[in-house]
Amino acid sequence: MNMAAIIQTKNLTKIYGGKVKALDNLNIEIEEGEVYGLLGPNGAGKTTTINLLVTRISPTSGTAIVNGYDIVKQSLEVRKSIGVVPQDLTTDEDLSGYENLKMVSRFYDVPNAEAEERIHKLLRMVNLEDVKNRLVRQYSGGMRKRLELIAGLVHDPKILFLDEPTLGLDVTTRTQMWKYVREIQEKLDVTIILTSHYLEEVDALANRISIIDHGKVLATGTSDELKSNLKGDIIIVAMKTDEDAATIMKYPGAIEAKENGPKTVRLKVQNSDEELPKLIRFVSDNSLSVTRLTVQKPSLDDVFLEYTGKEIREEEPADMRQTMMNMRRLRR
Amino acid sequence: MSGLGPLTSRELKKWYRNPVSLLTGLIQPFFWLALFGSAFSKIAAFGPQLLDGAPNYITYILGGVLTIIGLFTALFSGVNLIFDRRLGVLGRFLIAPIRRSSIVFSKIFASSARILVQVGILILAALLIPDGLEFKHGFTVLDGLILIAAVLLVALIFTSIFTAIAVRVTRPDTIFGIINLVNLPLLFVSYAMFPPGLMAGWLSNAAKYNPVSWSAETIRTVVINGTLSASQMHSIGIWLSGLAILAAALLLMTYYVSEKEIRE
Ligand SMILES: Nc1ncnc2c1ncn2[C@@H]1O[C@H](COP(=O)(O)OP(=O)(O)OP(=O)(O)O)[C@@H](O)[C@H]1O
Ligand SMILES: [Mg+2]
Repeated sequence: MNMAAIIQTKNLTKIYGGKVKALDNLNIEIEEGEVYGLLGPNGAGKTTTINLLVTRISPTSGTAIVNGYDIVKQSLEVRKSIGVVPQDLTTDEDLSGYENLKMVSRFYDVPNAEAEERIHKLLRMVNLEDVKNRLVRQYSGGMRKRLELIAGLVHDPKILFLDEPTLGLDVTTRTQMWKYVREIQEKLDVTIILTSHYLEEVDALANRISIIDHGKVLATGTSDELKSNLKGDIIIVAMKTDEDAATIMKYPGAIEAKENGPKTVRLKVQNSDEELPKLIRFVSDNSLSVTRLTVQKPSLDDVFLEYTGKEIREEEPADMRQTMMNMRRLRR
Repeated sequence: MSGLGPLTSRELKKWYRNPVSLLTGLIQPFFWLALFGSAFSKIAAFGPQLLDGAPNYITYILGGVLTIIGLFTALFSGVNLIFDRRLGVLGRFLIAPIRRSSIVFSKIFASSARILVQVGILILAALLIPDGLEFKHGFTVLDGLILIAAVLLVALIFTSIFTAIAVRVTRPDTIFGIINLVNLPLLFVSYAMFPPGLMAGWLSNAAKYNPVSWSAETIRTVVINGTLSASQMHSIGIWLSGLAILAAALLLMTYYVSEKEIRE
C-alpha cells in the first residue's frame, strides 16, 4: 500500500437494483495534496464513485479507505474529514448565503469564533462578501455555484470532492470557477477529487487523471503521461511541388504517412520532438522545399477517444432530468 | 444529537419569515372560532347537559379546535422533508456527520413549536370574541399544563406517523393524498366537535378509540371544570397515558425508520 495515499479503493463495486453494474472492482489511489480528475463518458460511474467515497450510498461489495477510515464501517468519521460539492445544488434558497454556511458549520461542530472567521475568509475568497445576507433564491447561477463550492469547506476538510463543479455554467463563469478551485487548493492545503465531462476542465485543474468507463479504470496518469502514451504525434508538411510531396511520403522515420490535401502530407511519428531535427535533415539532404510545417501534439480529446472509443464532445450528462433541474435553478 | 439545533432553527426561520404562513396562522384561529361558534350554536339550545356543563358552545368546542389545530399541523409536518429531498437540500444534510434522525426530529420539534404558538393565539382569540371562552370554575397552572400536554401528545402521534411516511415518499402528491384520506375521518369519528349524545351509536363507539377524542375530552374537562374531581382526574389520567404511550411508541418507530431508511 502506498503510504501517501489519502484515498484508496479496494475492489469497489456498485450494482444498482441488482442489475446495473455502475462500478466494477474499481481500484484507485489518490495521493495527499493532489488534484485528481475522474474523466469518463456518461454513465461511466463518476458520480457513483464520488457518492460511495462520501458515504452517500453504500457499496455492493469492496470498500475504500478515506483519510484512514473505512467508508463502510466508519462512515461518520469519513464524513467529518471530507467536504463535498455535489453535482446538484444543495443550499437552502430560503436562507441567506451566510446562514447556509453557518448552518453547515454547526453540523460539523465548528466552534463559533472559528466558524465566523472561516466563513468570512471563504466568502471573500469567492467574492460573495457583499451578498452574504441576501437570500440564496436571489443569487445568480454563478453566485449560487460559488456558494456551493465554499459550503463544502467551512469545516476545514482534508479532502474536497467536486462533482461536475461547472455543469450548466457559461464559459466565463466556468473559467472563474477554475480560478477559485486553484486558489482553494493552494491556500487551503486540501486534496481535491474532481469529476467532469469537460476535458479542458480536467486538463486545466488536475495533476493526475483517471479515465473510467463502464465502471473500470482504463488509464491513469498525468495529462502529459496519458498523451505521450498515445503512440505518435502528427507532423503536417506542405511542399512546394508534387514531386517533393511524393518524396516526403517516403520519409523513413514515419509510422504512417498520408496525403492531407494538395501537396500536403500528414506524418505520424513516435515523438515529434526527437523526429523534427531528423526530418529537417531529410529535407535538406533531398533538397526539398517546404512551404509550411505544423506539429500537432495529441490533445486529451485524442486520449479519450483512444481509450473509450468515444468522442467526449458528443456527450451530454446522462441524467437529463437532473441537468434540466439544475439549469432551471441556475437560470433564476 | 448534533444537527438537531441548526436544523430546527432553519425550520423555524423558514416558517416565521414566510409572511403568508404567519398571516394565515394569525387569522385561522378567529376563522375557526367564528365558524364553529355560529354554525353550531344551535346545539347549545339542546341544553347545557349536552355540553357537559359548558356555559357556551365556544367553551365546549375549544378542546376540539385546539386538538384539530395540533392534528392538522402534524399531518403536514412531513411535507417539508419531501421538498428538502426534491430541492437537493437533503443531500447536504446526508453528507454531514449528523445523526440521520436529527433531520426528521428537527421537523417534529419545529412542528411542535408552531403548534404551541397557534394554541396561544387561539386561546387569546377565544377569550376576546363576544360570548367566547369562559373559565366558569377557574383555570389553574396544572390545567394549563394538562391542556398543553394533550395537544402536543396528539400532535406528536401524527407528526411521527407523517414524518416517517415522508422518509420513504418522494412525491408531494402522495403525501397530500394520504392527508386527504385521513383528515376528515380523524376529525368526524371523534368527540372533537360534537358531544357523544348527538352522534350515531356506532360512530360514538368508534370515536372512543380515536386519540383525537382523548385530547379533545381532556382539554374540555379542564376548561369547563377548572378544579378537577377525583373521577375527572382519573379519566384524564387514562386519556393522557393513552396519548403518551402511543406517542412514545410512534416516536421510537420514527427514530428507527429515519436512522435506517432516509435517503435521497
Ligand atoms: N440510483 C440509480 N439507480 C439505478 N441506476 C443508476 C443510479 N444511479 C446511477 N445509475 C446507473 O449507473 C451508471 C453510472 O452512473 P453515474 O451517475 O455514476 O455516471 P456518471 O459517470 O456520473 O455519468 P454523467 O457524466 O452522466 O454524470 C449509469 O448506467 C446509471 O444509469
Ligand atoms: Mg455524474
